[in-house]
Amino acid sequence: MEIESGFMWETFLVALSGIPVTLKLTFVTLLISTPPAFFMALGKLKEHKISSKVIGFYVSFVRGTPIVLQILFFYSLLPTVLNCFFKNILHSGYNVFAWNPIIYAYTVFSLNTIAVLSEVFRSALLTVNAGQLEAAMSIGETKFQAYTRIIIPQAMVAALPNVGNTTVSLLKNTSLAYMMTVKDITALAKIEAAIGYNYIEAYLVILMIYVLLCTVVQLIFSFAENVLSVYKKRLTKTADKRTNYILSRAAAVFAMLRAV
Amino acid sequence: MLKITNIHKSFGNNQILKGVDLEVNKGEVIVVLGPSGSGKTTMLRCINFLERADQGSIEFDDIKTDFRAAGQKTIRDIRKKSGFVFQNYNLFANKTALENVMEGLTVARGVPVKEAEERAKNALDRVGLKNRYDYYPSQLSGGQQQRVGIARAVALNPEVILFDEPTSALDPELVGEVLNVMKDLAKSGATMVVVTHEMDFARDVASKVIFMDKGVIVEEGTPEKIFTHPKEERTAQFLKRILKEDYRADQDSDFTEKDDSLLAKVFGGGSGKKAYNWGVC
Repeated sequence: MEIESGFMWETFLVALSGIPVTLKLTFVTLLISTPPAFFMALGKLKEHKISSKVIGFYVSFVRGTPIVLQILFFYSLLPTVLNCFFKNILHSGYNVFAWNPIIYAYTVFSLNTIAVLSEVFRSALLTVNAGQLEAAMSIGETKFQAYTRIIIPQAMVAALPNVGNTTVSLLKNTSLAYMMTVKDITALAKIEAAIGYNYIEAYLVILMIYVLLCTVVQLIFSFAENVLSVYKKRLTKTADKRTNYILSRAAAVFAMLRAV
Repeated sequence: MLKITNIHKSFGNNQILKGVDLEVNKGEVIVVLGPSGSGKTTMLRCINFLERADQGSIEFDDIKTDFRAAGQKTIRDIRKKSGFVFQNYNLFANKTALENVMEGLTVARGVPVKEAEERAKNALDRVGLKNRYDYYPSQLSGGQQQRVGIARAVALNPEVILFDEPTSALDPELVGEVLNVMKDLAKSGATMVVVTHEMDFARDVASKVIFMDKGVIVEEGTPEKIFTHPKEERTAQFLKRILKEDYRADQDSDFTEKDDSLLAKVFGGGSGKKAYNWGVC
């Protein structure tokens, strides 16, 4: 078997044009998922019996079913159900099938990511010891102030590595969007390959693209973690300079954010 | 100034406080002693509403309320009049020493940042942390962290400061620096309620010593009275036990046997404890 380098280069260029779609799928999903995941984490911590049971059921249900199955379910079944709903109950001629399929992709990936992130946030909130909450209350803060100023900022930093992992696995999972005819990196490469049955080349190409993308995401998260977790670092003589450097960088970033 | 009456608290079936009364007057330093599990810490936490007492009432200047009936607003008013120093410091890990002390001023009391910074710096200077303003708690020793904890309470100018075993989590050689800060505070006229096992501190600083056991106040009085002529059998027993341990920790004592003195050299040295002979041993 021979690898066609010319075809590979062509496919590479075509697949590159799918990067924005992949990134859009990843980051829009993250944006949609973060608020509900966060409130679910808080809800589960409160130990209200009903809400935490409902949330627990949702989380174990979503994480206990293959994502491919969820895609098949949402992409084949949901439009039909919605169509019946519009036609027979609302008696409107609204055409569900005209929706952009990316909506189904957002739905499936968000449902998954919410479940994962809610667990990430819950464990992150638990890492901040309850004593700090008591201390904040003892100096006269309200519970809301204590959470927004003391607990949540620390929990978010603690959550960063796991949010990074979630983002990376979400980015990889978005390759399944081709099943919903969304033209992301994978879909474009498969279409190219189908013309001359050059699947191996196409797969090699997108493999490299995914590795690159995931590496960049990981680097961004580890940089963010490094800057934001300044307060966790001990001052030792050798680390002094580095910590001071990071401190000054962090101060600059905060100053910039404040100015904005 | 502060008066709590008939305070009861249970955790499940375990009754921790069985009707404790306590009155604190301005300028008093009250030291609460007692074996572990006697309810000292719980009493302190109930005053600050970190635990909700089951029964009893509190009178703090012009605030008068039943523990169970107190609403969030009343609770916050009482907390704003009192400072709390925790056994495990409980500093805000994401904030520097200065920010830790400023937090209660700017956020809870609405003091302007400039003024808050000045007051916070003053408080940190008082506890001897002049050059540690911008250090995070993780970069400070236990003793320094506890001193920030004290500064955080002091900066708020509270009517009374509640200390919950402030030196129990510290390495022995760091206990001294924290006790010194507390002694200075007491000298400056601060009103303090201190739960501790530091007998030295109780003897030198307390204006009143309270002995608690099994959820009730067994005995109270001046340090001399409690240490030299305890009326109650339980008080005498407790003091005997504690002071004997102090004796053992002192390597020069004639009372220690050879093995004990070796142990004392390894574990007990440097804690600043002295041997006393107050007639109870």
